Order: sequence, then C-alpha cells, then structure tokens
Amino acid sequence: MFVLPPPPPRYTVPVAYAAGASNGMAVPVVETNNVISHPEGGCPLQVGEGTYHLRDNLHLATPPPHPSEAPIVNPNPLATGPTPPTSGVKLLLVSIGNRSKTPTFPLSGAGTIPVFGEGNPALAPPVVKEGLKRRKPKNNIIKSSSSFISRVITHEAATKRLNDQNPDGLFAFANINRAYQWLDLGSKQKEESLTKILFTKAHIISHDLNQLTKSSSHIDIVMGSSAGDIIWYEPISQKYARINKNGVVNNSPVTHIKWLPGSENLFMAAHANGQLVVYDKEKEDALFIPELSSPSVDTVKTWSRQPLQVLKSVNSRNQKTNPVALWKLANQKISQFSFSPDHRHLAIVLEDGSLRVMDYLKEEVLDIFRSYYGGLICVCWSPDGKYIVTGGQDDLVTIWSLPERKIVARCQGHNSWVSAVAFDPWRCDERTYRFGSVGDDCRLLLWDFSVGMLHRPRMHHQSSARQRTSMIISNPQHPSRHRADSSGNRMRSDSQETADTYGSYDPTVRHLVEPRSRTALLPPIMSKIVGDDPICWLGFQEDSIMTSSLEGHIRTWDRPREGINGPGRTS
Amino acid sequence: MGSFLRSFRRDVGSSTPSVGATPAKKEPQPPPMTPLEKMLQDMGSVREDGSDKFFGMENVSWSILRLSLVANDRSNSYCNSILQCLYYSVPFREAVINYPTRTPIESLEAAMTKNLRFQNVAANLEAEAQAEKQRIANAQRPGAPPAQPQKPEDKDSPEYKKKMALQTLPLLETKNNAVSYGMSESLFTSLKDLFESVVASQSRIGIIRPQHFLDVLRREHEMFRSAMHQDAHEFLNLLLNEVVANVEAEAIKQPVPERSILPAEHAESSEQSVSSGSKTPNTTRWVHELFEGTLTSETQCLTCEKVSQRDEVFLDLSVDLEQHSSVTSCLRKFSAEEMLCDRNKFHCDNCGGLQEAEKRMKIKRLPRILALHLKRFKYTEDLQRLQKLFHRVVYPYHLRLFNTTDDAEDPDRLYELYAVVVHIGGGPYHGHYVAIIKTQDRGWLLFDDEMVEPVDKNYVRNFFGDKPGLACAYVLFYQETTMEAVMKEQELENMNSNIADFNEASMKQNGFPQSPGLAHVHSASQIPTHEEALRNTGLNRAPTAPQLPTHTEDTGPENVPLSPAVAVPPPVPPIPEAVSSRPLSPKKSDVQSKKERAKEEKERKAAEKEIEKVRRKEQEARVKENQRREEAELKAALEASKASKADEDRRHVPDTGKDSDSKKSGGGLSRLKLGSKSISQRLGKDKDVRATSSGLPAVPSPEPSTPTPNSVPPEHTQPPSSPHKGSPKESHIIHKPLGHDDEHDALKSPKGDRGKWRSFSLRKKSFSILS
Repeated sequence: MFVLPPPPPRYTVPVAYAAGASNGMAVPVVETNNVISHPEGGCPLQVGEGTYHLRDNLHLATPPPHPSEAPIVNPNPLATGPTPPTSGVKLLLVSIGNRSKTPTFPLSGAGTIPVFGEGNPALAPPVVKEGLKRRKPKNNIIKSSSSFISRVITHEAATKRLNDQNPDGLFAFANINRAYQWLDLGSKQKEESLTKILFTKAHIISHDLNQLTKSSSHIDIVMGSSAGDIIWYEPISQKYARINKNGVVNNSPVTHIKWLPGSENLFMAAHANGQLVVYDKEKEDALFIPELSSPSVDTVKTWSRQPLQVLKSVNSRNQKTNPVALWKLANQKISQFSFSPDHRHLAIVLEDGSLRVMDYLKEEVLDIFRSYYGGLICVCWSPDGKYIVTGGQDDLVTIWSLPERKIVARCQGHNSWVSAVAFDPWRCDERTYRFGSVGDDCRLLLWDFSVGMLHRPRMHHQSSARQRTSMIISNPQHPSRHRADSSGNRMRSDSQETADTYGSYDPTVRHLVEPRSRTALLPPIMSKIVGDDPICWLGFQEDSIMTSSLEGHIRTWDRPREGINGPGRTS
Repeated sequence: MGSFLRSFRRDVGSSTPSVGATPAKKEPQPPPMTPLEKMLQDMGSVREDGSDKFFGMENVSWSILRLSLVANDRSNSYCNSILQCLYYSVPFREAVINYPTRTPIESLEAAMTKNLRFQNVAANLEAEAQAEKQRIANAQRPGAPPAQPQKPEDKDSPEYKKKMALQTLPLLETKNNAVSYGMSESLFTSLKDLFESVVASQSRIGIIRPQHFLDVLRREHEMFRSAMHQDAHEFLNLLLNEVVANVEAEAIKQPVPERSILPAEHAESSEQSVSSGSKTPNTTRWVHELFEGTLTSETQCLTCEKVSQRDEVFLDLSVDLEQHSSVTSCLRKFSAEEMLCDRNKFHCDNCGGLQEAEKRMKIKRLPRILALHLKRFKYTEDLQRLQKLFHRVVYPYHLRLFNTTDDAEDPDRLYELYAVVVHIGGGPYHGHYVAIIKTQDRGWLLFDDEMVEPVDKNYVRNFFGDKPGLACAYVLFYQETTMEAVMKEQELENMNSNIADFNEASMKQNGFPQSPGLAHVHSASQIPTHEEALRNTGLNRAPTAPQLPTHTEDTGPENVPLSPAVAVPPPVPPIPEAVSSRPLSPKKSDVQSKKERAKEEKERKAAEKEIEKVRRKEQEARVKENQRREEAELKAALEASKASKADEDRRHVPDTGKDSDSKKSGGGLSRLKLGSKSISQRLGKDKDVRATSSGLPAVPSPEPSTPTPNSVPPEHTQPPSSPHKGSPKESHIIHKPLGHDDEHDALKSPKGDRGKWRSFSLRKKSFSILS
C-alpha cells in the first residue's frame, strides 16, 4: 500500500473556536490592535465622473475567543450541531457636528409624517419632565458584572478626545466577531478605538442609531445579537440596558435592527425565525403570548396562508411591556428590511426569496415580489422613495418600482451573492439614480440607471418561452380563485377566498416571477475586486465611499476632486 | 432491528394491547435512539414506493479491511454517496424500479426474508473487536477526526455511530435477480437489485450492503478494482452511461415482448406511482429524459457574421471554479463568449478559410435533473500534481440557468437543490464522500456510509468550501420544480411552525414556562416542525411487519425487549441533542424529559400534568386532522403540477427520439457515449486548434476538452470499432494528468476491457436471438 501525503495546511492560524470559525475566519489567540494601511497603487475606481482613490484600509482586529470556549483542535466537518450565526463587519456612521446633511428629495406623500402607533393611547409617550435631557439606560457597561458582557476596553484619552471633538468629526461603530468597537474616524489615530466592548459569546449582527435623539452628548444605539438579546447602548455615558433578555420575547438571532422613523423609543428587530418585533427601549420584557382572538388550530392554519400574521398588534391595549407589536412573516429568516424615505412603507426581504412591501402603519402587506431564484439578502430605497433595490442569491441586483408595482430591471454583474446595496444620494437627481452594491465575490459595483434608458431585451421567442415559470397553475378545485392581471402579470388573491375563512379582506398582491425574456437587463458602470474576502457593507458619504468586509477591512475611497462641490452631476 | 423493536414496544405501551410477550421490567438497556430513529418514530405504515426508507450503505471495503488490516483506501463511499443521491431522485428511482417491469411487492418480500439479516451478539462482539483494531489502523483516515485510542470511545464520532449502526440495524444483502427481470446481469440489474431490496424492506431503516453491485462494477471496470481513491463524479457519469447501455442493449435484445407488456404495466405503474414524474420507463430513454440536456455551441464568424451551430448532449455539467464565486457565476462563465483568433482561428464554411470568430456555448435543452460537477481537483503546474481547490463557491437552494439559447424551451425553468455530494479530504487522491439529501417529506438527511442522520436545512450550506474540516461540495443535484411547488412547501413549513408555536404558547399560558435550555431556537429550520407535524399522525400507525418477530431468535439480549414493557424510557444521557430546537414534543417529553422536569419542577403536581396531557392530546388530535387534510391538498397540487410537467415531457419526447436515431446510425455499438461537459475556456481553445487543423469545415469539435496532449479525436468521426473513447473517460484524464503515461495505460485497459465485454455481450445477445 502506498502512503498518503498529509493534507496540505490550509489554515495558517489554528482555528480557535467554533463561533469564529463558522464563517471561515481564522481567529487569533491573543488580543491585537487595529491596523491602518495605505495600500500603494491603491484600488482606484474609475467612473464617468472621475476616479475614486483609496484613502486607507483600516483592518479591525478580530478578538481572541473567550477563555470559557474550549478550542476545537480538529473540527469534525460533519458535526451536525447548530453553528451560531455571525456576520461580517457592518458600520454605523455618526456625524455629530455640522457636516452637511445628505441631500433630500421631494417625496410623493409629503405632509405630516405619520408615527407608528399614533392611534393607540396606550402607546402615548409619557410627558418628559426635564425638557431636553435624554433618558439614558440604567447600567454602567464598564462596571457591568453581567455574564453577557465579558469586558470593556476604553481608550485612556477617550474623554479628552471626546472633548476635543472636531465638529466635522465622524464616529463609526463596528461589530467584529464578539467585539463591538467605537471608532473616531475624524481623528488622526483613527485605528485606535475609543471603546471596545467584548461580549462573552454573542456576536452583534446588526445595529442602528437613532437619528432623532442624536446629539453631541447623547447617542442611542440598539444592537441585536446572535443570541437574540438586544442591547440599548449610550456610548457617551457608557450606559446600557438589555432588552429581550435571554430571548424572553423571541429567542432567535436578530438579523436586522432599526429605530422606527420618527420615534424616540421604538425600534424594530427582525428575528431569524421570521418574526418582526417592535420593542420599546423603556419597557420591561414579558414572556410573549400571541394575542389571538379565537385561539384554535384552525385559525392558526388559516393564518399561515397570510403573508403577515399579527401576533400582537400595535393597537393592542396591553402596552405595559415589550413587545409593542409582533408580526410573523414566514418560517424563514428575515434578511433585512428598510423604511421608505417618506416613512410610510416598509420593504422586507426574506430567505424564502420574497420582497414584501408593507404599509407598516396599518400592519398590512401590500405587495409580494419574488426573486428570480434563491433568497434575498439586502434591500434599500431610492432617496425619493420611488424605487426599491434588492440583492440576492441569484447574483442579481433587482430594481422594483413602487408606484408601478413591478420589476424595472435586473442588474447583472456580480459573481456571487449580493450582500449589500445602497444609493448614493449625492449622485441622484429626479431622473437618474446612482447606486452601489457589494457581494461575496469581493467586488464593489456601481450602477447608473435613469428612467428612460431601460430597454427590454430582444423579444424573439416569447410565445413558447414562458410557460411554466411565469404562470401560476391555479388550484384545480378553484380554477377561478386567482386571476392573472394581463397588464402587470400580477395576481391578486381574491378577497372572497379569504373573506370566507378569515373574515377580512386580503390586500396583498402577489406578483409572479417575470421571465428573463421580458425583463430589462442593466450592466454596471464599474466593477472592481476591492479585497480578498467577501464585502458585507457599503456606505456613501459626501466625500467618500466606504466598504467593510467579513474579516474586518474598512476601506475608504475619496470621491473625485471635481465631484465634491455639491450635488448634481459634473460629468 | 433495534429501532423497530423499540418503536414497536413504545406503541404497545401507549396504544395497542399486549402482543403476547411477557412484560419484563428490568432488561439490558437498549442503545439510545439515534436522531433518525427519533424522527421516524410514530410514522404511518410503510409506503410502497420506497420514499420512506432510510438505509445506510455499508462501506464494504471496511469489512474487507477488518480482515486484512490494511490502511483503508478502498473506501467505496464514492459509490455509496452517488447511489443514495440517485435513490432519492423520485423519477430515477421509479424508473429503475419500473424498468423493465415492476417486481410485485409480494415476491420481493418473500425474497427479502432471505436477504434481510439480523445481527447476533457473537457477530457483534467480534465486529466490535475487529472494529477496534480497524479503528486503530484507521486512525489517519483523512477527513474524519482521528480516533484517539487512549480515550474512551467518543459517542458523537461518526466512527462510533457507524459501528453502532452496523451492530444494531438490520443488514440487507442483495441477490442477483437479473433473471427475473429477464435481463442479463449488468450494472443496471444490480442497481435495480439494490433499489428493490430497499423498497421491499419492511424496516424503515437499516443498512444495505452494496457488495454485489461493487462486484459487478469491479468486474466490468478495471479502474474501480484498484485500491486508489475513486472519484464520485466519474462514477456517476460511468453509472449513468452504463445504465443507458444496459437498458438499450436489452431493448435491442427483446424489442417485441417489451412492447407487449407496455399497456398493462403502464397502467399499473402509473397507479402506484402517481407522484413520480416519469411514468414511461418502458421506453429505454428514461435516463436521457432525466439527466440529458443539449448544449449548443454557436460560432459567429467575424468576417461574414454567419453563425454556425452544433449541438451535443450531456448528462452532467462540469464547471470550473473561481475563488469567491457562485454556482450561477460558474455556469455563466462557462457560456461566456470566447474569441477565436491568432493561432486559434475558426474555419468558416461560408468565407472559406480561417477567420476570427466569436464562440459561446449555451444550453438549448434543459435537463430535468441537473447534475453539476464542481471541478475541485485541478492540476497545478508548479506542484506537478492535482490539487484540491478550497475555493468558496456558494450554491443556492434554487437555481435557474442564465446561459440558455434564445430558442430554448422553458429557459426560466426553476431547479431545486435536492442533493449534495461532499468530498472530505485535503487532496484528490484520498478522502471520503458523504451525501446530504433532501427527502420527499423528511427534510434533509446526511448519508455517511452506514450512518443516516437528519440535519437542519442550514447544514447544507456548510460545504461552500470555506469552513474548517476540508469538506466541500463536489457534485450538486438540482431537480426541476415549479414556483407553485416551492411556495406550497414554504406555506406548509410556515403552518407547521405556527402550529408548533401555538402549542407552545398555549403551554406557556397554562403555566408551563419553557426551560431556557429547551427553548433555544437556533434557526428557522424545516425539519423539526415537519417532524412535529408528522408526529401527529402517529396514533393510527399500523402494526408493522408481522413476519419480522420470527427473527428475534437471532437477536442479542440487547434486542430482546419485545415486551410491551410499560414504556420504560431508554436512558436519557447519551441521546445526542436533537437537531430540532422545539421543546420536546408532548408525547416524547412525557417519557424522556421526565427526570429533568422532575428536577426542575419538583413542586409541580402530577395532577396538573395529567390535565395538561389530556388537553394537549385533544389539541393534537385536531392538529393531526388538519395536518392530514393539508397534506392531501398539497399532494393534489403537486400532482396537478406534475401532470402538466408530464404533459410537457411528452412533448419533449419526439425530438429527443429523433436525436438518438441520427446518432445511432452507426449501429448498436457505435452508440455515442454521453460525456459530462467540461467547461473551460482555455481548454476550449486547445481543441479548436484541433478542429481547425483537422480541416474539417464546419464539423465542430467535440466539446469536452482535454488538456493533455493525448487528445481524443472528435466523437463524430469515431469509427464504430472504438466507441468508448468517449468523454466520461476524458474527465478522468482531466483529473489525473499526473504521470499520465502510467495512468493512461491504466485508463486504456478498462476501456478496452469494457469494449471487449460489450462486444461479448453483443455476441451473447445475437446468440440468444439466434437460439
């Protein structure tokens, strides 16, 4: 018999613990520092308006495993145990001072912006006594004895640096593995974090900042963890509070979290088990019991057909404790959601491949669109609220029109799943839109799209081509139940059906998958491999484009010189 | 066996009256239930289509090994994983079982009593001793965690689980039934033997020994005789080609009787297998109908702009990989345009001369089952050998093909991932294969030789190639589906989880707080909820397999408990935590978590529990009822969509038939071997040189490309005398160009060998016709 050579070494660093390794990352053994580098030659992005030059690459340090986690020396590749979820670095950018705001666009539904839960007196916020003084969370994070938080490392000159804060400064909050870092991107030593929180086991997966309450002395951040727990954190006073503690309301990981627009206290969290939950940062948790009108298995069964099951309505009288509202959308992961700029709609993308547009104020799903195939991963709105852009496991970025309720174009150019999409409001106007996308293919793509420029592809073989995929086979028992709308290729589930069983009108329009032959295809204006690891976040600033990656590389590109002066196109 | 007896006993304890065995209170403790057994308990009666059988496959070479104590590299996991993937393709399984005729279930059962072997203690002990030795000998088996002799056995290790499976589960051996099929023995008949044995088995779980199949395989293909590590994809391609060949050879042999059987048989089979997509196994083209697709290579001359096209068929697609890419992107790369220029010019018929041209390959006819081979083994110049690529290549649960021609029928066809063959190991010359398969109604299962384990849906995504442990997806099986079927499945999943939530919630309301440990939900998983829902159908389970108890003489003491023992719970500790996240279901929790609960909730009164139990039972009955109704609806919908599919398939048939006719012109032996299409641009150029230099105008070159100098002449020009230099072997060459002199010899011989055997069988055939 011949002797086999040993398998070639693949992991230069021993894989230290399961959680870190679950996304393929090597995990260090000791605590290290962030490193900033200025790659020579850079990674220029060439577009019509000029060249974006790479300013720097800040590499966040991955923390070592918590001492309580036994190192796994030789992992069994077939181990069937659950792997804890984790996510790549996502940045939260906060400009405190008087940096100019993002350009605003006229919104269709102008007027007073409605607030979620307005109609419910039980939700009326208590009268604030002390004027402008914001309420802070109760517990001091530095002195915390919680088993959830391992330790907190603060910069020795943090307070001094906060006081000397440049009014144009830019803070960033970043999650990496079990660490959560507060960075001062405006300072000279931006690689030194102001504060680093190390959690025991949980990873922060998503976080958001309340724009309404933001000031130089107060920042409200909520972060959702892999354990399901949510932290409300105020970094300036270093105070925090825990919400959904030990998953009492929902014990599945928080995949996305956002403050409700226009609310000081309410935020929405998407959980991996398909539930959307609205929490109040001020309220205590309580064990959640669905508020069903007539709790029976039959009702539950009927509900399962609904695109949204309201397990607790915002209009519920019982508002003493969290959750404020709880909706179940599916039995699959909610990947992301996004509020429309006019604060009236909510776009949600799920692992089941659906994009659901909600009137969240009324707790109704208006439209369900479907990806070409595979799950959807990310979603955002155009600054004027007319378009929704999604990215998914079909390697496509897809543009949907809200007013027309249909797909506008599929954007082909990624070589792997699309992990984040964002519009560049500085390069958008009434007719043209600029957006970017990043993906698991380590690429950054930029796209321009204008209302008039899209063309449908050649239409040769239409007649026979779209048979199976585009037509929903109507249920043999109820051939007339669904009717296909000839103009929009959409389908409305008839109100009769639901009225019979559920007693209410179903407002949802379920759109069919458009065949390739009838959908416009948009190519990118720029495509560039920007790193060696999957990119998972993308952001546009007035003076820069930023991305962050799975392993913690934060890259910043300066905009072309001539493009800095105000909005509008220069090219 | 153990499982059957245990579940039997549980039933006895809970619902049915005693069967006559004496109740025994203290008995040797049976081994704890495996997760699979847990999942399958309380299932309804055994189905006839085999969709509810979950058999491990014995790694036969291990048993050889136990005797010889040589290092294990004769693993047949390559074969086990592929066979499992094929078995769980409903249309393929149905076709194999129904061709040429379906063996009546009674006669199968009769045969089964002979073939099903139950373990006895002595053998177990012996096996254990041998396994121990083997484990030591085997310590450096790549891919799997090394066994550590100094430690007590790790109950979670795959080795331990496989050993236990071998010791406790019924072992099926197949017998050559070729005569009863009216066929001469071939790889197809032994495959049919395997499938039929599993379908006919009264036990839902067990282990099947593919020894006979391997014997036939090794007899006919020398390359599988060697101790070398075999390639699962090569095996798949060979098996499919061989099945085509066997079936067609039979069809030529006896064309008339086959036709005569057709109507009656057809009616019968369609009744039995309504849900199967392929109900026409009587035609010999069923493999083609399932796996075969057509590729068109379009070459556009840049001088005269004339487009010339050439079609070829494939049984699977081999795609080149790139770091950080997706299957979608790999497929698209394969169809990317390619410039033919410089030394690589194209001979244009129209302009008459070498011209610059643009070439692309697109899919013209989409297969119903798309087998995608990810080319993870790549020859690297600097190392002078094949290397395994650990690129991260993501694959979605659903897929459509972007690279179709404009006139392709149904270019937006939706595929669903139903099986993944995973290669574990650092290189191409050694390693281990397992399969992860989505079963019809039991969610995803992991098949690792003898071991079968339910896994979470997310588990399928652990093999993109970026995780520690050297395990990567190697062959992906996508099967055709429809959006409606997908949405229906999602709806059902949603409902099951809602019902589970609801039950849980009502439990909470009634003062049963979940203990945090049990309530840990890790993900939106499909299986647990499914399990939950299906458990509800458990009460009306039919007492299974009356003849089985006759075998109990053979069983060891640990299996004796055939008593209606008043549901003595199996010991709790070693039970691996179920994949599921749901709180233990009522029925189970009554027995299993009693101890824990007693500890946690000592103050809770038993009376309270009783009330709760009764209430839950009522609820369950309701859920069960709804469940059944829902399933019936789902089935109806599926059938409807299947019917429409079948309709379309019928439309497919004529042109595929034509296709084959034109190709068969060379006579029985010159049958075109169907290759796996290897997709690589660089390689493509290589062979275009050949095409141009051969000066065959507009006879396009064969697509599967060979990077090695010993290029294979175009298939079309093959003389009938050497019909086997086809593409399946080419992929082999691609894989192993190292030392290709020796290898090539090794390759040639099986080819020649096979060719000989083929002509031999032909002679035999003609002989039989003459006589």
